[in-house]
Amino acid sequence: MTSKIVTLAAGVALAVSAALPATAQAGDTLSAIQERGSLLCTGHNGSYLGFAEVDDQGKWQGFDIEFCRALATAILGSPDAVQIVPISWAQRFPAIQSGDIDVIIKVTGWTQSRDTELGLQFSLPYFIGPFYVMAQSELGAESIADLEGGVFCANAGTTVERVLADYLESNGIEYQPLSFESGEELRAALYAGRCDALAGFGPFLAATRVNAPDPDSLTIIGEVIQLEPEGIVVREGDDALLDVVNWMVSALLLAEQEGITQANVDEFRASPPSPTIERLLGVSPGVGERLGLSDDWAYNVISAVGNYGEIYDRTVGEGSRYKLPRGLNNLWNNGGLLYPLVLD
Amino acid sequence: MVVLSQPERPPASNDSALGWLRKNFFRSWSNALFTLAFGGFVVWALLSVVDWMLLDAVWRVANRDRCGHDAGACWAVIEDRWRLIFFGLYPYEEQWRSSLACLAITLTIVVSCVPAFWSARRLPVLWLAGLGIFFVLMHGGVAGLPVVTTEQWGGLSLTLFIFASVFLLGMPLAVLFALARRSSLPVIAMVTGGFIDIVRSLPLLTILFAAAVVIPILVPDWLQGSKLARVIVAFAVFFAAYQAEIIRAGLQSLSTGQEEAAQALGMPYWSVVVDILLPQAFRNTLPSTINQAVITFKETSIVTVIGFFEVMASGKAVIGTDEWGAQFIEIYVFLALVYFAFVFGLSRYGAWLERRMRVGHG
Repeated sequence: MTSKIVTLAAGVALAVSAALPATAQAGDTLSAIQERGSLLCTGHNGSYLGFAEVDDQGKWQGFDIEFCRALATAILGSPDAVQIVPISWAQRFPAIQSGDIDVIIKVTGWTQSRDTELGLQFSLPYFIGPFYVMAQSELGAESIADLEGGVFCANAGTTVERVLADYLESNGIEYQPLSFESGEELRAALYAGRCDALAGFGPFLAATRVNAPDPDSLTIIGEVIQLEPEGIVVREGDDALLDVVNWMVSALLLAEQEGITQANVDEFRASPPSPTIERLLGVSPGVGERLGLSDDWAYNVISAVGNYGEIYDRTVGEGSRYKLPRGLNNLWNNGGLLYPLVLD
Repeated sequence: MVVLSQPERPPASNDSALGWLRKNFFRSWSNALFTLAFGGFVVWALLSVVDWMLLDAVWRVANRDRCGHDAGACWAVIEDRWRLIFFGLYPYEEQWRSSLACLAITLTIVVSCVPAFWSARRLPVLWLAGLGIFFVLMHGGVAGLPVVTTEQWGGLSLTLFIFASVFLLGMPLAVLFALARRSSLPVIAMVTGGFIDIVRSLPLLTILFAAAVVIPILVPDWLQGSKLARVIVAFAVFFAAYQAEIIRAGLQSLSTGQEEAAQALGMPYWSVVVDILLPQAFRNTLPSTINQAVITFKETSIVTVIGFFEVMASGKAVIGTDEWGAQFIEIYVFLALVYFAFVFGLSRYGAWLERRMRVGHG
């Protein structure tokens, strides 16, 4: 109920903002950030597993937060030049229109209506969000079809319900849906065995599994039921900022592809093995100036937060408690979908 | 002295405890059965709660490892994360300021409940001082305290601040609304009435959402203020719309003779209102006013949807991580206790106030 009111309120806010000329001066957000000396980036109202969490000292951490820091480093030279604004899901689009934030980095799926009607621009996907099904291990299911007739649980009112129904119906799999309003209820039901399977966003499933009384009693089935490419969002007309965002993501990926890490970036800079890396790390000039940044921006980013793989491992991957496999979020040469752009 | 006939006392009940029990709980066999079944259920429920909360509970864990799943409550989560719940995103090194500010505002509320402070001079001074101290401590920027912007405020101190400011702003506004609605000028009465009805027919959530998100789009920068300020003002207007109707009910419960008599004595309008009408109106509507205050205190948790880290959102931040994700019941129970401490205090105070006011009132 509450979520419906929030959605409604957000809708009204958006309608108003769409009806008016963009008040937050689009186009010069990049210079506004540089003038202000800090980047206004999205947090969460609470913690969102692995992506935006608050530690016991009240500090933000997580995958999305690392990208906020990376962007702040690219523009302003310091990972601390960022102000994380706590923002709910419903509030993120109105908030960027009103200028409360400069950029949305909040696992936001690139959809057509958001791209067009809402007056937003999306960056290259920085995360490929897969929806999976997780089943009770004792059922021995190896594919979703093996779960025919079972009870599938999902969060009520989310896209998951629809995605699940689409997938199962188009594959002719009979099932009994069971929805829960809150994530806590959903987990309790799963642990108590009321659900044969749980459908959801990959990171959420991984966290649910780690927290189970017996993590081995749950298995994530490898089939991807839907993909959601997540982009970084800026206001329409903020082309300069979008360029920076895209090349920041690309630099993180290129660094991983070339084996440049937080630890060895100085060695690479001292003796760059290829002209591309020379340009990336600002040894040969040009790469920053075109974006309106300093030439060593990518070097700063990598020495502040590491490359894409390091961020992933630290926050949601093997180095974290979530142990989310890289899967589709691997580089193209490792069987994933991510690739850097050409730095010429 | 005329002695009227003494009313007869009801026959003294000389039932023993056993007799009392029999009379009230075991009158018939169905009655007894119900008593046993229900009593048994209550005892069982209480025991399992005590078991879960105290006996089987895990109080500490080594190495910040997680608690087991089969044991009772895992209070280690509170030990580990209490600072987050109470202070939200407030910078770690500066959290002593937040706790002092919390204390200042709690003291202000408590002291202003003491009748000795109820005068038109003392109360505003006390509140301005209390909120001023709170703001200086929380915001900093003076005496070498680093500035902490309102976006970083959080936890219990934010909840208390929102509640106190809404009450402080809303109460005078409510009095004005109530008087305006009773105004003899039809235009003022109708406009105020219409305004109150419109505000009351909108959900609080939409009003807050509009204040947080829509106003920055519509209003020029210099008029906006911080998000927190906008939300507090909007919340106060919402509170005032309800409270105005409560006060109006109090005013209408007074006989018109009082007002007319005061006017006949030549008392000016404000004197009639302040000295005669309002004190009685407030006394008559005290239970509803306390009720409204309690509701407002609890409704402060709604600000979490527009991105404020008040105590509820901070609690959710604790369980939104993988480390303590399984301890949501413990966190909700703890939050309930925090709310309970304040709200129960508020309603006990209301009850005491009623008793006190009834003295000499019949």
